[in-house]
Amino acid sequence: MEHPTRIEPSILHELSMSVPDSKDSLWPDIKKDGRMVLESNDLPNKKIEEWRFINLKPISRTDFVHIDESGVLPATDIEKYFLPESDRSRLVFINGKFQESYSSIGGLGKGVTVGNLANFSNDGIVKNYLNKLLNYENDVFTAFNNLMFEDGAFIHLEKNAKAEAPIQILNLYTDAAKPYIATPRMLVVAEEDSDVTIIEEHIGLADNRYLTIPVCEVKVKQRAHIHHVRIQRDSTDAFHLSRPITYVGKNSEYHSYTITLGAKISRNEPRVIQEDEEVDFTLDGLVLIDGDQVADTHSVMDHRFSYAESHQLHKVVVNGHAHSIFNGKIFVRRDAQKIDSFQENRNLLLSKDGLVNTKPQLEIFADDVLCSHGATIGQLDPEEVFYLQSRGMTEEKAKEVLTYAFALETIENVKVDSVHKLLIEEVYRYTKANSMPKVHA
Amino acid sequence: MLELKDLHAVVEGEGIEILKGVNLTVSKGEIHAIMGPNGSGKSTLAKVVAGHPEYEVTKGDILYNGESILELDPDERAHAGIFLAFQYPVEVPGVTNTTLLRESYNTIAASRGREELDPLEFDDYIREKLDLVEMNPEFLERSVNAGFSGGEKKRNEIFQMAVLKPALSLLDETDSGLDIDALRVVSAGINKLHGENDTVVLITHYQRLLNYIIPDYVHVMIGGKIVKTGGKELAFELEEKGYDWLESLATVNGEAK
Repeated sequence: MEHPTRIEPSILHELSMSVPDSKDSLWPDIKKDGRMVLESNDLPNKKIEEWRFINLKPISRTDFVHIDESGVLPATDIEKYFLPESDRSRLVFINGKFQESYSSIGGLGKGVTVGNLANFSNDGIVKNYLNKLLNYENDVFTAFNNLMFEDGAFIHLEKNAKAEAPIQILNLYTDAAKPYIATPRMLVVAEEDSDVTIIEEHIGLADNRYLTIPVCEVKVKQRAHIHHVRIQRDSTDAFHLSRPITYVGKNSEYHSYTITLGAKISRNEPRVIQEDEEVDFTLDGLVLIDGDQVADTHSVMDHRFSYAESHQLHKVVVNGHAHSIFNGKIFVRRDAQKIDSFQENRNLLLSKDGLVNTKPQLEIFADDVLCSHGATIGQLDPEEVFYLQSRGMTEEKAKEVLTYAFALETIENVKVDSVHKLLIEEVYRYTKANSMPKVHA
Repeated sequence: MLELKDLHAVVEGEGIEILKGVNLTVSKGEIHAIMGPNGSGKSTLAKVVAGHPEYEVTKGDILYNGESILELDPDERAHAGIFLAFQYPVEVPGVTNTTLLRESYNTIAASRGREELDPLEFDDYIREKLDLVEMNPEFLERSVNAGFSGGEKKRNEIFQMAVLKPALSLLDETDSGLDIDALRVVSAGINKLHGENDTVVLITHYQRLLNYIIPDYVHVMIGGKIVKTGGKELAFELEEKGYDWLESLATVNGEAK
């Protein structure tokens, strides 16, 4: 995004003015970096190709205040969000701030380090990678995160280390008197032959307005495996702008599944960048939206070396006036041969007023590659509904079953039992609430 | 048990008339075959009786056990004991055969005063039925018809019929797309299922199915009407002479009678 015309004043820039000089901070260089980008860039607007379908005015017109001045209410009853599998492998953040008393990290086994980034500011790994993996050209959101974050999740796996339990990164957002901005941060470094499962959650505890800008950097080294589940259940009045970026090394595997259920406006920009040959990665997504929700996914899968297998199934169910946007970029660089890349965006429209914009985008510069891609937008097939009705299901139930079946495919691969169960319940709750009343012609 | 009276039906919203006054009476326990050339309205007839929303009945009536079912939704007709074996069974990825059948069995059982079965009881119950159509038990855990061959889909329809125990089965070209072995298995299944209390209406293009299933009556449908009714020997006559000799019964001077 080069030099957009100034249309919206950057609320982020205004807020950044009140942040004291970064010299005394734990992350002086990163903050300096963030401030620089904020000073010279505005919020993106619809005149920029990448942002033409999404309206950010609700964000720019909200009077956000610094989180310390927003009058946040305490979080209660949060234990119910703890995953049983992660009983001793959990980090909890409330509005982006680390909560030691709710966190528990004893159960991960040898070679696995998990903790608050703020406690690792002098760690060699953190110094090596934090902010170094980000690659979001002049992006004010990552810049704001850079300027504001103090705490964050840090996960490091030594060579050959296998995490004995899935790690839960639980981000909770509380009610507040005034809208605030949270800047959760995450750094994951998996050394050679290591293995870890991460469940990253964002949950709004009330129905208040806030903006969260989660930034996540992941490095998967040789033969390491990461299974990364991201569940967004933000408040229905919240804004969620996330930037997870991952670098995959030789013979490594990275499989991510992003489930988008909450937020008024969400924009997810996952990027996976291949750093060597023989990699296997997944960037699947499931979006279930209703009312006036807007969910936008702009992804990049960058194949830079030969022998890669990549998979992106992005499924969306839209009801009410909701609006889904998908732009999936697949790059295959000139010397990246023998690439097998699959991309499909399937949209199910349950209402007349729902809207879907979809744009699969392939840029292939190599000649020996297999890339399949497709996008479909459709309603429930009346023949399928009739088939189930002829077997005794009511029209309502038939639609519910078909919607449920449509959504289920994307969560089948989530391998943590309680999370899989939770997602099935969420899908079920959505389909139950959205199976339409019967209309007779 | 099933009585069609001067039944007229059009494609919903298009006004094209497909059924142009069908009269048919089927009594309990009988097997009827409805034959006819392509486009004669045979399949539409089956769908209209099952309540397909694509068609609108513009005139006439469908009586089932003496009562009109025109106002009933497809699921309500299923609850009343009507079953349609589809010509092109629909794939439902994500829903297993067992899930669909248990759901169906229990809703139908509830409305017909039969006892509902819990998952374990149901499992025992459906395994017995598998043998009837020589189906592999692994089909139970596969998504409904997803990735099934044409023959497997048809077999699955008869399997569903076996499980749901309908009072009236409408089998829409169940024989098409079956090789001779599958045809034998499917027909044997239908014969075994057919008892004194249930009624079968076979819709078929070819006579060969009737080598295995002996109908009480054969009807010929042309141009949206039943133009001739006879015994099983009518099927042999059709096999020999085709449908051309009956065309004149459906039209006079090129107009529908």
